[in-house]
Amino acid sequence: MVDSLFILRSDINNFRMNFIYKIREKEITVFLIKMLIFLALVIMLDFSIGSILKYFYFKQKSGLLYRTTYSMDSTRADFLVLGSSTATHHYNSDLLEKRLGISVYNAGRNANPIFYDFAVFQSILKRYTPKIVLLDFNVEEFKVNPDDYDKISSLLPYYKDHPEIRSIIRLKSPYENYKLLSKIYPFNSLLFTIGIGSTNFNTNRDDINDVKGYVPLYRVWTKRITTDTSIKEYELDSNKINTLKSFVYECTTFNIQLYIIVSPRFVKYSGSDISIEIARKIAKQSNFSLYDYSKDTIFWEHKEYFADGIHLNNDGATIFSNKVVDTILKSKQYLHIKSKKPFQ
Amino acid sequence: MYVKASYIFIILFVILTNYWIGILIQRTDNKQRKKAFFYLSLFLNLSVLIFFKYWNFLIQNLFEFFGWLHLTNSVSPPFLDMALPIGLSYYIFQTIGYITDIKRGTIAAETNFYQFTLFTIYFPKLLVGPIERANHFLPQLKRKISFEKDHITEGAKLIVWGLFKKLVVANRISIYHTVVMVHSDRESGVTLLVASLLYTFQVYADFSGYTDIALGTARIFGFRLMENFKQPLLAKNVGDFWRRWHISLSSWVNDYIFNPIALKHRYWGEGGVFYALFISFVVIGIWHGAAWTYVFFGILQAIALIYETTTRRARKKISKKINSDVYNPLSILFTFLFVTFSLIIFQSPTLSDATIIIKRIFSNSGELFYENPSTLLFMLIGCGIMLISDMQKEFKVFKISRLQNRNWLGQQISYAFLIIYILLAGVFDGGQFIYFAF
Repeated sequence: MVDSLFILRSDINNFRMNFIYKIREKEITVFLIKMLIFLALVIMLDFSIGSILKYFYFKQKSGLLYRTTYSMDSTRADFLVLGSSTATHHYNSDLLEKRLGISVYNAGRNANPIFYDFAVFQSILKRYTPKIVLLDFNVEEFKVNPDDYDKISSLLPYYKDHPEIRSIIRLKSPYENYKLLSKIYPFNSLLFTIGIGSTNFNTNRDDINDVKGYVPLYRVWTKRITTDTSIKEYELDSNKINTLKSFVYECTTFNIQLYIIVSPRFVKYSGSDISIEIARKIAKQSNFSLYDYSKDTIFWEHKEYFADGIHLNNDGATIFSNKVVDTILKSKQYLHIKSKKPFQ
Repeated sequence: MYVKASYIFIILFVILTNYWIGILIQRTDNKQRKKAFFYLSLFLNLSVLIFFKYWNFLIQNLFEFFGWLHLTNSVSPPFLDMALPIGLSYYIFQTIGYITDIKRGTIAAETNFYQFTLFTIYFPKLLVGPIERANHFLPQLKRKISFEKDHITEGAKLIVWGLFKKLVVANRISIYHTVVMVHSDRESGVTLLVASLLYTFQVYADFSGYTDIALGTARIFGFRLMENFKQPLLAKNVGDFWRRWHISLSSWVNDYIFNPIALKHRYWGEGGVFYALFISFVVIGIWHGAAWTYVFFGILQAIALIYETTTRRARKKISKKINSDVYNPLSILFTFLFVTFSLIIFQSPTLSDATIIIKRIFSNSGELFYENPSTLLFMLIGCGIMLISDMQKEFKVFKISRLQNRNWLGQQISYAFLIIYILLAGVFDGGQFIYFAF
């Protein structure tokens, strides 16, 4: 009797344990299924929204983003201008084209360091070999600045279709490969820019009205010239120096004439800049030249040539472009090149 | 914040000394010895904190003081070139609270060394808190922890919200704010005003974002950390603000500094309360860092609270005469503006920098600076979502909240879209959390 009661009690306990275990197991299974559904939902949304953004990004026919796409995928100009905002606003493509007799495209992009220039150059070299490249070089270009690595994000939309630029993108962060598993991530922070670029909204904005990549500025600077007497001592970024070396190496390999030019600024510099000196040495080693206009007194005396403290306006750019052409024509390395096709 | 492997010994020192002193206080019946052990712990904890966080500040001010008295000689100040150990202010305050509670007899000393270590440096709260209380956290360590799907869901939701606040709101504003404040002496008044107003959102999003991530991570592991924020931007007065902002610090200061001082000086009447308020907020200010701006930030809060205490009755009378639909929003707005004003001092490297910003806000006319309209749009949308979420929690503005409702599919879709928005608008290259530096 006692035995049977004991067996009965243990059976009840076993049954209870099994019942709790099964409920718990079912709970976990349902939870995991729900988690999978949630993940699928996120992936689906990421894929669809990312695809829509990609479509509209590459559908643009004007503006800042379009010019990068055009530089990387379409231009076949013999003369390329590369650099940051000083490149975009200082080199009048039409003027260069007329005076040199070859097709010109200004592939500069605002606020982008040398990493961007090299990535665009790599993509271009994959398609064709330009004859002349003008690299606009900035004062303090080689200065360590973490923001410059963040700016590599302007190349993210091209990561998938341009394997040649992936090593540059990896400089941004070692986790970039994983982040780029998302379809939306390459278009991060570009939602409104893509929206504006794909519609006719605000057609008067600064960066839309370009002439073969050249974006003229029409403002006139009214403030006095500033004087910078500080001795420029700063930490150098070896990645940037190596990128310029690679840039120069590619030019030598592909027999491209390279002109490295430092644009005028409305700032009086008295000391020398270490970045410019290093760039000059790198250029010289491959028989290229660096021309420094940052201390050109003609521009220091005419604030009406400037749109702000750093950028020339259209009048200033015209004068400067002519100066640059004169320099190129006078240079030993210049060879008169006749473009096979007029620039389209 | 910097990471230096040798700093592990600081943490070990703090853990070992407080663990043993806690047990010694508990074991002794002699009141004098109890007191002696307590002061020994206080001395050791504060020495570590002062040495690593405030040494250079103290030395610099001491030398400046001697210079003012024309007592300077050729001796150069013995500044130390060292990094602030991570989470130092947080775990030191935590252990001081622990030892004080044992001395007061409100908790028993933890005898399990591993559990005490975990209480001191539990990883989600190590860097930026919350400053946990022993009676809240230690009992949780003694519970059996099992897999709970609700904990995971709850924790994951908090983490997603935290990421939204940090990546979409704080990091986005940080880009604009940094650009403006680098040239604060040249920017227009309206630009500085907008940057200052946005900074209030930035600090809140940054700090509460980290707290949400910490709380969420702990929740996944089955722990519940202290709430640190309770819609502070909707506070109706400065006192209310401090009951909602960095709650773990303000309640710590309330329990271990304000109450003992106010009690000790209770015969001073209101004067005792004011004195306690003043000391408490100077501590809160200086806790943030070794700079006069932080001290002044604390003093400003104390002044505001003293004003609120003295005018309580008058303000109550006024509030009765004005419709609450007008009075309450106005109170929130004035509190927000006061917090923004005091944060100008908080964020400035020196008091003169803060003065320049304040002067320019009121005197300089000029256009609003913004790089492109999309920057402003992203910032406004981020702040808007955060504010709406807080308003929903505070006032239950909407009958249904997609992120809180019980409809499973609705919740899934809401959080999926939140993740998508983080991918779309988050700033992933942003800097570290502001409160890491404290």
